[in-house]
Amino acid sequence: MLQPKKSVFLAMALVLMLAAVLSACSKAEPADPGASASSGNAGPKEKITLRMTVWGSPEEVAPYKKAIQNFEAKHPSVKVELQHIAADYDTKLTTMVAGNDVPDIAMMESGTIAFPMAEQGKFYNLQEFLDTDTEISPDTLVPNITYSLEPGNVIGIGPGPESFGLFYNEDIFKDAGIAPPPSNVADAWTWDEFVEVAKKLTVDTNGKTAADPDFDPKKIKQYGANISTWWGVYSNFIYSNGGDFISADGKTFGLNQPEAVEALQKISDLINVHHVSPSPVQSKNIPATNVALQTKKVAMTVDGQWASAALAQSKFNFNVGVMPVMKEPVTTVVCGMFSIFKSSKHPQEAWELLKALLDPEASIDMLTAGTWMPAPKDWYTDPALLAKWTENLDARPSGYKEAIVDVILTKGHQTPTGYVKNFNNIMDLVNPALDKVWLGQQTAQEAMDSIAQKAQAQIKGRRDIKE
Amino acid sequence: MRKGMFYGLLFTAPAILGFAIFTLGPMIASLVLSLTNYNVFKEQTAFTGLEHYVRLFSGEDELFYKSLGITFYFVLLRVPSVILISFGIALLLNLNVKGRAIFRTIIYLPSIVPAVASAMIWMWLLNPDLGLINSLLSRLHLPTSNWLYGESSVIPSVVLTTLWGIGSTVIIFLAGLSGIPRQYYEAIEVDGGGWLHKLSHVTIPMVTPTIFFNTIMTIIGSFQVFNEAYILTQGGPNNQSLFYVFYLWRTGFRDAEMGYASALAWVLFLIILFFTFIVFRSSKSWVYYEGGDRA
Repeated sequence: MLQPKKSVFLAMALVLMLAAVLSACSKAEPADPGASASSGNAGPKEKITLRMTVWGSPEEVAPYKKAIQNFEAKHPSVKVELQHIAADYDTKLTTMVAGNDVPDIAMMESGTIAFPMAEQGKFYNLQEFLDTDTEISPDTLVPNITYSLEPGNVIGIGPGPESFGLFYNEDIFKDAGIAPPPSNVADAWTWDEFVEVAKKLTVDTNGKTAADPDFDPKKIKQYGANISTWWGVYSNFIYSNGGDFISADGKTFGLNQPEAVEALQKISDLINVHHVSPSPVQSKNIPATNVALQTKKVAMTVDGQWASAALAQSKFNFNVGVMPVMKEPVTTVVCGMFSIFKSSKHPQEAWELLKALLDPEASIDMLTAGTWMPAPKDWYTDPALLAKWTENLDARPSGYKEAIVDVILTKGHQTPTGYVKNFNNIMDLVNPALDKVWLGQQTAQEAMDSIAQKAQAQIKGRRDIKE
Repeated sequence: MRKGMFYGLLFTAPAILGFAIFTLGPMIASLVLSLTNYNVFKEQTAFTGLEHYVRLFSGEDELFYKSLGITFYFVLLRVPSVILISFGIALLLNLNVKGRAIFRTIIYLPSIVPAVASAMIWMWLLNPDLGLINSLLSRLHLPTSNWLYGESSVIPSVVLTTLWGIGSTVIIFLAGLSGIPRQYYEAIEVDGGGWLHKLSHVTIPMVTPTIFFNTIMTIIGSFQVFNEAYILTQGGPNNQSLFYVFYLWRTGFRDAEMGYASALAWVLFLIILFFTFIVFRSSKSWVYYEGGDRA
């Protein structure tokens, strides 16, 4: 009696498992574009589907949809399926790759999984497309917005470059009778000039400024400056001081070298010596840039140009100047990128879609709102095109053209995530050590020296030089 | 008989299959993967044997020991707190006072708030400058703290944030308490004993099975703490809240080193198994089951 029961159970279990496995397989089928060509109305050419994944707020996704519409109108045989992954993008994409359910084209972040994927050959080399394309080439794009695994192997192109500037509240300067930050890079403040101004604009609850001997740093009402302790922000000053995350030959850890250490120390001094910038703990109370400036919690702040969008909606007199200069004026250029997966069966169509996504006409709303800057260079150099996204707009105050537009074209520096190999693992050591620097418990030299040996072991070279 | 067996299996099949496909299968898979260098993005996966485990225990991976130490500290701090506080609250809620149902609801309510939402609330409450807790402390002229943003205060602060979600533990204690027969208390009253006698001679012995169950569940849950690190601290400051599961997640999903992450997971599994086993063994000497021998 026992035997048949066991076999019944086993058979049932097997059948159900098989069913589960099969249904899981068939789910993946539609990814095969051949299978979805059932409509048959596309005439001689079979209709193909491109899948694309993006992250971003609804406002950021809107221009993608517009670009896709433009693209589909021009390419009637192609349908684009947009998959918006709002949260945990990298985790979900990793899972999709693990499950062989890979999109054709995806937005990628240089600081996270883009390079690990590229190292495993997951992406097309876009250089091959750039070489033969008649419409765009690296020279027609803003510098520093293409990402390369190694020289000659482009894995992604950024649709919206971003640089950094010194945003400020004009009224605070007017009331204090202080000249606001210059917008022309030739007139940029030195670091010391910046610190002096920041001191005068840092006010405690008794109305004393940080330049005053009776100043109480424990009761600060208004900070003169806010320099975030995020690498995106402090990298500007490391580069400006001639330092780098890694040596030019890609062999040595760079953050314990004198130039980088000096820059890090000066930022820490803003917090712990001059008391003009909030510490990481205090900055938990500092609202977003637009609110911080509007409510006069902060007089000036170094932030990415994307901050202009929210500032424009806040309706107060804000403006933007160039960041203070340590040795050379430099801005770090950061942006997401579009990459095409090797598994795509339609690389040519995906490339055309990528080009459509780079087209500023499609994302004009994002440009005028202030969130993005365009990718093609002629939108910066051709006065008619430049006017489209920089003139007569709330998000583009008087200093914008000089402090942001001119600077990104001439003084841009690639983001460290784009050329430092193994960046994440190096920063896993650097960030905890820097916590102590921002808290004033260690000097930048001590902190960086303390991890130098371990960081050196994580140095794997640079992507922008041939080995 | 045969028919009954068939239907029995048919109706339990979803549970059995669910376990086999979604729990047992992945567990076996992860055990196998922990012996390989499986990386999600790599085409080739090679068998590496015990290499990952050697790397873990040889001291090469400092973060392994660091995150393990932090997690142990958290467990050590949290388990007694949860058990004592939830037992205390359960005793209070078991009193026959007016509006008892309302109090019970209030205590349980935080347990149904999504973890992310309650973490956000705590971030604001514990904010060093603007937070409610520090401003109350300074108004009372008590020392304030950097809470989640201080190296030494971050783990106790995380313990504090998790304590407000003990509603379900309290409910289980309440169930245990309401199962104690009244006669025992009456017997103590007759003998002239007070509330302390009742607590130590009746209440606590009678709820030891519940304490036992709650202790095990709390130990397991505490070892697996993740949300708090993910939302509140991201492992900072200075890696002082790099919980084990957060480190595991970072290895697997950020660095895509699934093989290594699987090895980390299995080490945690064995650690939890070990402690559960210890508590089970010790239970023989302190858990009392009514109407039966000691366990």
